Amino acid sequence: MIRLYHVTKRYGDVDALHDVSVHVEKGAFVYVTGPSGAGKSTMLKMLYGAVRPTEGKLLVGGVDVSAIPRRNMYKLRRNIGVVFQDFKLIARRNVAENVGLALEVLGTPREEISRRVKAVLGVVGLKGRGHEYPPTLSGGEQQRVAVARAIINDPSILLADEPTGNLDGAMAIEVMEILQAINLRGTTVMVATHDAALMQRFPYRVLRFRGGRLVRA
Amino acid sequence: MSGGVFMHILRRAARSLWENLYLNAVATGVIAAALLLVGVTLTIQHNLSALVDSWDRDVHISAYFHHDVPEARRFDKRDQVAQDPRVVAVRYISEADAQAWLLERTSRLEGVLEELGPAALPASLEITLSAEAGTPGEVAGFATDLEDPDLEFIDFGQEWVEHFNAFLSLLELLAAVLGSLIFLAAVFLVINTVNLVVFNRRDELEVQKLVGATNSTITAPFLLEGLIQGLVGGGLALVGLWTVHRLVVVRLQIALGLHMAGDLAALSALWLFGLVLAGAVLGVLAAWLAVARFLSRAP
Repeated sequence: MIRLYHVTKRYGDVDALHDVSVHVEKGAFVYVTGPSGAGKSTMLKMLYGAVRPTEGKLLVGGVDVSAIPRRNMYKLRRNIGVVFQDFKLIARRNVAENVGLALEVLGTPREEISRRVKAVLGVVGLKGRGHEYPPTLSGGEQQRVAVARAIINDPSILLADEPTGNLDGAMAIEVMEILQAINLRGTTVMVATHDAALMQRFPYRVLRFRGGRLVRA
Repeated sequence: MSGGVFMHILRRAARSLWENLYLNAVATGVIAAALLLVGVTLTIQHNLSALVDSWDRDVHISAYFHHDVPEARRFDKRDQVAQDPRVVAVRYISEADAQAWLLERTSRLEGVLEELGPAALPASLEITLSAEAGTPGEVAGFATDLEDPDLEFIDFGQEWVEHFNAFLSLLELLAAVLGSLIFLAAVFLVINTVNLVVFNRRDELEVQKLVGATNSTITAPFLLEGLIQGLVGGGLALVGLWTVHRLVVVRLQIALGLHMAGDLAALSALWLFGLVLAGAVLGVLAAWLAVARFLSRAP
């Protein structure tokens, strides 16, 4: 599903990623870990086309991401769900509108959006909360809304950049359980985190980075 | 573009117009003000051009005879001038006719003119030239051809017309420069205002990009907003122009007692349509530039 061949990302003289080669199978659950500045976020950003490798080749679903023109990046992103540490929810849109945005930009009919929003809110445990606004929700609930938005169009890959970074223990576990459930449905899940306890509780393959280099795959 | 995406764009545009009412009102106001200034400039220029055109079409030359020229020779000169193809009409005005004309208009001068005698005012030929011969160069050429020892003075106001034409050319240049500067300033102001709207919604636009919206899906609602702002701004500018024309200019003309008060023309329908169209172009252009700037920086 995801293949990196000798990928390097350089900012000026600094290598955010250095000569990284890795293969992630379809349907896998993988952690990307390491200390701050190790290159976790850069790795994920490359996968959804926010940054391009300086050297090397990056394939997602068999497609060379570095060869996709910026204007066509939307094609890749429609097949990848992304969850962020800071949720990136739109405060002035209610939960249903936030979640339905991914379908709305595709021109999906409103009835269909409404049906699928209800279904996906059920998956993340927020059934009947569609009319509420993000600022009125807890951190864990906001992150579950973000996860719902990321999975509403059934992406084959779900990327989560420190999804539990702003959450307390119980909320973090709730979110991880949801990600685990999504992975069990066949979605490849890649989670960037430095929470060792969480990785112990939900043990999966770990890609460990240090100073931009992949030190354990 | 599918119907669903089109509806999404319409909904986004309507929602953004409503949610950013103040900023959108500012952008619309800026467009309206800029177009009003351009419209006023054009109206002034249009009226001045029309005025000069009317003078050019109806050029009069006065040729004054020496007092000692016998009347028969004066009539010969009149008939000779009438033969010229550049001349539309020629009228002989005797000393007595001139005096009577002047007395008719200023009765206070009656005593003075009586003292001076019948020769106070010279006899003259009042010549009207055709429109083709009405340009300053043609008029000067005709005046040279007209020169005759029997004629004391030929008055065709050439210097004044030339000066006015030069002034008008300068005014046209100034109007073009001023209009362009105003339009440019409006473009920058509207771009900055739309930039604020984009900045206000950057979180939403970033998320739209992340979930796979195309650049055109993101841009289109802003273009639609820009179009609406431009059309409304253009409409407001027309209302403003109408108000200026009705309330300010006409009243000013009447107050000053100028004869052109009744003749003051508004811009033609084509120009007015062009003004609204310029508003629409301005709105769309500004929106496009602002969103393109955002998209070029978005991840």
